[in-house]
Amino acid sequence: MKTRSKILIAKEKMKDKSRVQMLLNWLGPFLGLILVLIIFSSIPEVQDRFLRISNLKSVATQSVIVALGALGMTFVIISGGIDLSAASNIALASVITAFAINAGFSPVLALFFGVLTGGMVGMVNGALITSLRLVPFIVTLGMLGIARGVAKWIAGNQKIDAPLTWVNELMAKSPRPSWLLMAPGVWIMILFAVAMAVILRYSVFGRHVFAIGSNEATARLCGIRISRTKILVYTIAGLFCGLSGVMEFSRLTVGDPTVAVGLELDIIAAVVIGGGSLSGGAGSILGSMIGVFIMAFLRNGCTMMGWPNYIQEIIIGAIIVAAVALDQIRHRQAL
Amino acid sequence: MKIIKIVAVLFLIFLFTISCGSGENKSPGADAESLLEIAVIPKGTTHEFWKSIHAGAQQAASETEVEILWKGPQKEDDRAQQITVVEDFISRGVDGIVLAPLDDRALMRPVRDALRERIPVVIIDSALQGEDFISFVATDNYQGGVLAGRRMGELLLGKGDIFMIRYQAGSASTTKREAGFLDTVKQEFPQINLLVQDQYAGSTTETAYQLAENLLNRFPAVEGIFCPNESSTFGTLRALQEARMAGKIVFIGFDSSPKLVQGLRDGHIQGLVLQDPVKMGYLGVRQMVSHLRGQPIEKKIDTGVYMVSKENMEDPQMRSLLIPELLK
Repeated sequence: MKTRSKILIAKEKMKDKSRVQMLLNWLGPFLGLILVLIIFSSIPEVQDRFLRISNLKSVATQSVIVALGALGMTFVIISGGIDLSAASNIALASVITAFAINAGFSPVLALFFGVLTGGMVGMVNGALITSLRLVPFIVTLGMLGIARGVAKWIAGNQKIDAPLTWVNELMAKSPRPSWLLMAPGVWIMILFAVAMAVILRYSVFGRHVFAIGSNEATARLCGIRISRTKILVYTIAGLFCGLSGVMEFSRLTVGDPTVAVGLELDIIAAVVIGGGSLSGGAGSILGSMIGVFIMAFLRNGCTMMGWPNYIQEIIIGAIIVAAVALDQIRHRQAL
Repeated sequence: MKIIKIVAVLFLIFLFTISCGSGENKSPGADAESLLEIAVIPKGTTHEFWKSIHAGAQQAASETEVEILWKGPQKEDDRAQQITVVEDFISRGVDGIVLAPLDDRALMRPVRDALRERIPVVIIDSALQGEDFISFVATDNYQGGVLAGRRMGELLLGKGDIFMIRYQAGSASTTKREAGFLDTVKQEFPQINLLVQDQYAGSTTETAYQLAENLLNRFPAVEGIFCPNESSTFGTLRALQEARMAGKIVFIGFDSSPKLVQGLRDGHIQGLVLQDPVKMGYLGVRQMVSHLRGQPIEKKIDTGVYMVSKENMEDPQMRSLLIPELLK
């Protein structure tokens, strides 16, 4: 009897623990964001300003570029790859959009060209990775240089001034029809985030991405067409970089080939903070978006406080390490 | 579990340091309710030039008893990040913004946003398109280029092969210096031949160093070089020193830093065009404060350019421009 009750109690405890565990797992990424929000909204100097609607609107607008990049990057990282060319791709797409508008194309077409350029760069990445059997790190590292170089070449080594069109309204903090409340770019970001979350969770393609990232050999044995899926993953990532580039152009009002240097690291950090594993098989769109917002709110808060940039850099660095460490601990306990 | 505890402790420490930081910030700000808050946004924070602007801004702030918030883009020369900084200060609701725009066009929208929120903006150092600012305080950069061109021509006795190294595409202030230099050399010294005039040094000393090294390898017989800002001047000086050519050719630079002053003293630099960044930072903040206190201000202020060489570098006026009294 005694032993039996002990076992029952132990089982009960396990159940409790697993419930806590589940809660923690679900809340995990949110905790960081909530912590950042609490910290800044409890500092008296910026308290009344930090949580104002207009500030939340600016943070949302500032997040769009990284967020769009992170949507695609989440797929790439879950599949066990990486895309270092994201930021260069963004710069290239922004230059192409400005170039097309200058060349007299309609803004719709220019936007389309920008996104398409991003998609093509992504497709080339995917094709090289699968056909040459090179690691994604190397291929996209090469593409980082190539895309940046092409962007500078097309722009003639300077920024491109394009006439103002409605494309530049996409990232305006106070949108033209005021019932939109936020910049159209923010709505586009939310829309795509929901769509990609559904695709990742519920579509066959999404499950294949997870399978490839968890164990490529097993996935192959299960009959998943690895190459096709991978090319698709990198193309999607590229398309999002293209869209992100259009948004960058919209924000700057000029096509700048030197913009977003090093932004790929912000994008990767967002995915990783949100629970993406660089060894593949783990990650979520919600997590990545939270990662984006953690960094955006940190930047915003530090600037509002007037803290020097080095403090900001140190804090963000620490957050990346802490977030991933916490994630690892959660995983170890789950096993 | 142990690890969780450790992480928890780390987080607590993190929280603690943050709250300490805010405590420190609070103490001078405790009686700051009535103090005017002015954000001063440079193009970057690491160049000597911006440190001088900072010193001038601080001097003005302490004279007029206002508080300044000094913050540049996180990555030097990143247009998108400078926009973010302006937006964040608008969110904070500062009383005024003094801005050195990285781009004469990309910063137009955030400046207009500031105006919409009734936050006045003073533009310093580089021009901004449009009319959404209350005053423009800057060096006459074209005139600076003209001074450099004349000095180059005089020292080369009107003939020779030279480089003009450009700084960075889209930077309005340096483009004007380059134009001033080119026009002067072409009009007043037609026998001077420009071997290189459209190569960009890029935003860091490192990129300038590499460019200068490559150019010197290709054209070892060059007789004169002009660089339009501090980082390109220093990078080129390093390359000249490495190649053992420093002092053998005419080298004219722009702006000052302790290393460049040493170069001038050693005879490795034959002339530096100096602006008055301390004055620029000082007047930028002064204009803003005057405006906020309801006094009339000028729409445009020229802070002057000067040519300093080994001969006149000990003059008190030149000396104070060469070695500004930085933050004590």
